[in-house]
Amino acid sequence: MKNSLQLAGVLAVVLLVQVAVRVGAQQGDRVPDITGSWERLGFGARLTDAQRQFLPPAGGGQPPLKPEPRKEWQARVQAAREADAKGQPLATNATACLPEGMPAMMGATFPIEILQSKGQVTIIEEAYTQVRRILLDRPQKALADVEPGFYGSSVGRWEGDTLVVNTIGVKESVRFQNAPHSPDMKITERMHLVAPDILWNEITIDDPATLEKPWTVTYAYRRNPNYTLLEYVCEDNREYADDQGRQKIRIPAPQK
Amino acid sequence: MKKLFAFVFLSFALLVTPAFAHHSFAMFDHTRSVTLKGTVAKFQWTNPHAYIELDVAAADGKVSHFTIECTSINMLQRSGWRSTSIKAGDKVSAVVAPLLDGQPGGLLLEVTMPDGKVLDPGVPGAQGYKRSDK
Repeated sequence: MKNSLQLAGVLAVVLLVQVAVRVGAQQGDRVPDITGSWERLGFGARLTDAQRQFLPPAGGGQPPLKPEPRKEWQARVQAAREADAKGQPLATNATACLPEGMPAMMGATFPIEILQSKGQVTIIEEAYTQVRRILLDRPQKALADVEPGFYGSSVGRWEGDTLVVNTIGVKESVRFQNAPHSPDMKITERMHLVAPDILWNEITIDDPATLEKPWTVTYAYRRNPNYTLLEYVCEDNREYADDQGRQKIRIPAPQK
Repeated sequence: MKKLFAFVFLSFALLVTPAFAHHSFAMFDHTRSVTLKGTVAKFQWTNPHAYIELDVAAADGKVSHFTIECTSINMLQRSGWRSTSIKAGDKVSAVVAPLLDGQPGGLLLEVTMPDGKVLDPGVPGAQGYKRSDK
């Protein structure tokens, strides 16, 4: 009898602990579920009418650059256009298989995967296997403590149903739509579900050194539960930049 | 007329630009295609792009070698291709947009396999390439 009472007590404690753990997990899980593979809405496949309503408002067109950086941007865009028209495209970071970096990778030319884990949201872009880690609920580093890189340093927090992410430390050679930026560029993303499987990411770039005003571009993504990201490794890349900065393909010499 | 053409071209260029974001295909001739019948010497299944090395024999028996660029193997896989889709020794017919610089190469628009199956490499904006064979 005593033994069965003890057993009942132990079982009750085990049950209570399990309930407590489950409640705790539910509270911790109360943020929206954005985990999964996502494809840019309107990219590749034709949009259905149901999807069309979830397209974000068209972005602001050209980057709102200040006069000096605008001149540089226009010259670069013009040079690329003329080179393309001549059939001699200019080499870009892509020619050397360099990743797009932030915020261009969020344009999701290839599908992206979002993973939510304790204290972190990880975003992977299939092309070039680009990976960014967003650390949650901690202060951003001082810019001086961030080495300039392709993805920068990202911290985020959930504000209600919106994941707000702050990114600094993107190197100047990493350009979005060819626009120059200063080392002080700050990127703020606001990600939220507008439908159970449609995610919007409103990306705002602040860079008073080069921009007249903050520049906002919004992307929409569609969750695809049937897709698993593929590997992407550049191997024997036959594209290269020639001595005039043009993109070329290595063709085997004709056999004699 | 020239202005209209420029406008149409620019509109088209703007329309297809996002899909070209990674690599430019401007070094290929968008205004004509060439159909190459030959034997596959090698199928290079790699990123950023896959390549078909093709030996094409002329009527006099002289063999010319062509390098045919495909899209990324990720795009190819999403279009149903596998690394084994094409093998060395396969006799194929490839429709390509030739390189503008005159080198023996081009961009693959479609390839017909020995069994008659047609594989589409899913070139972004493929409808913008003029096909001489159609």
